[in-house]
Amino acid sequence: MENVLVKVQEVFHEAFGTDAQLISLETTPSDVPAWDSVGHLDLASKLEQVFGISFDVDDLMEMENVREIVRIINSKL
Amino acid sequence: MGATPGNNFSGRLINRLGEHSYLIDAATGETILPSDLHRLICSFGASLLSTGLKPGDRILMGCILSPASSIAYLGAMYAGLVPVPVEEAVLVASSADLLKGTGARAVWTERSFRFDGIPETGVLALHGHPAERRADPLPPAPCEENDLAVLVATSGSTGNPRFVMVSHGNLTANTEAIIRSQDLSSDERAMLILPLSYCFGASVLHTHLYQGGGVVFDRRFMFPDKVLHAINKYECTTFAGVPTVYNILLRRSNICSIAMPSLRRFLQAGGPLAPQRVVEMRAAVPQPRFYVMYGQTEATARISCLDPEHLDEKLGSAGRPLDNLTVRIVDEDGKDLPAGQVGEIMVKGPSITLGYLNEPEESLRVFDQGWLRTGDLAHLDADGYIWIDGRKGTFLKMRGVRVSFAEVEAKVAAVPGVYECAAAAVPHPEVGEALALYIVPDQGAGDVIDRVRHSLPVYWTCESIQIVTEIPKTARGKVSRASLPAKVIGTYE
Repeated sequence: MENVLVKVQEVFHEAFGTDAQLISLETTPSDVPAWDSVGHLDLASKLEQVFGISFDVDDLMEMENVREIVRIINSKL
Repeated sequence: MGATPGNNFSGRLINRLGEHSYLIDAATGETILPSDLHRLICSFGASLLSTGLKPGDRILMGCILSPASSIAYLGAMYAGLVPVPVEEAVLVASSADLLKGTGARAVWTERSFRFDGIPETGVLALHGHPAERRADPLPPAPCEENDLAVLVATSGSTGNPRFVMVSHGNLTANTEAIIRSQDLSSDERAMLILPLSYCFGASVLHTHLYQGGGVVFDRRFMFPDKVLHAINKYECTTFAGVPTVYNILLRRSNICSIAMPSLRRFLQAGGPLAPQRVVEMRAAVPQPRFYVMYGQTEATARISCLDPEHLDEKLGSAGRPLDNLTVRIVDEDGKDLPAGQVGEIMVKGPSITLGYLNEPEESLRVFDQGWLRTGDLAHLDADGYIWIDGRKGTFLKMRGVRVSFAEVEAKVAAVPGVYECAAAAVPHPEVGEALALYIVPDQGAGDVIDRVRHSLPVYWTCESIQIVTEIPKTARGKVSRASLPAKVIGTYE
């Protein structure tokens, strides 16, 4: 889980310019100004590339915080 | 005609509220009842005046998509103040610039924030839900039709925020014309996901309340299925979106399988949506009527509307002018062009706004003796339908929001290692248009592409950054965007 989180933090930095250290499992879209509807899709496609997985629409709807993102990624690895 | 309470747009609006005028926050379920809405708007306006603010004073309002922000905005206007609605995050990030640009005497946010530097300036910092700011109600502030009602921020050609001056008469005229064009009844309920600070978002709020209907606010469009379920749960009749919204719904939501039997209409504006996407939306959700519209902040909100009856026949058109507007297509000398020929769209009518705040020269150029120069290129067909062919090339539209090339170029040129740069727009499936940047680096500058990429605001989508040997120019020394790609010598992404 830790390794996945570190990679997710890096993707957040790449997608939104957010300092990786500020991204925790509890981070939600309201904590990251650019994490909006378009940002969400950008984030998802970057995560798909980094982890070599693909998300379906229902996955996207469930990615409401970083904990959920990590959980969904782990379920696909 | 003198100043009368009857000219106050917010006053007119609250007199027309009806039994369906609920304001609902979809995320929290907070509901403002029709019986309370009138009083909350009046008493918030009164509470602002009780702080010493006077009619005509400007107030920056950090709005979120919520009942409270809408009430505060309408309350300020009702009291004769001039609200300047901006998104809360934008206000928090740039309060000093916004105060300077608008001369606002007060700042209001729904939630509490610390604004550095504000206490020293004498600007009032107010916050809190309108329901917490009780005061005895008052009648709407008397005003003349041409009195300033609201300042709406938009992108300027220099990159600085620019404020369009919208009068009470503009709002009334455009709201009533939109209601007629969309056939709104008194029992409508809109699902609003667009910001109140954006003229399209505000127009949905205005039209639905003015007609005695209500509005559901939903800030969760990043999870589109939640919004679609909320449309069903709250029995919304109208949904409004920019092209980005419809592209996301079609590609990244379960729109085909979520029932929305109450929905009567989709509204689309904020830039062209590919005709194929309109066809796909119609196939995905056949029963609501699909309205394609065209507009500008400088024209209050909406300019034209494609009647759904003619959607198939005129697919790709922006429809016909609203019934109180006149449209001309002119050449560069201002001469009228016949049907079929492409020129600039000029618009005249009661919803053409008063001009730009503190920009008399630019206002005279754009608002030419009552005619708004839209900067959009179009032609009319034999039936009088508008077909948009492009823009005169001063800005692009990302996520439905105008961003001027000048602003982009100024920001990129300030990055160390950039000698010169030019920006162009390329089609993008989610954001509508994205940036393509062309850069002439300083001699020996390394990593310039990375530095430029990281210097861009995260809200801008940059499709490519290319290194070129020179920026093509017109005879007048301006960037020749049409000639840009031919000069590319190396592509880095």
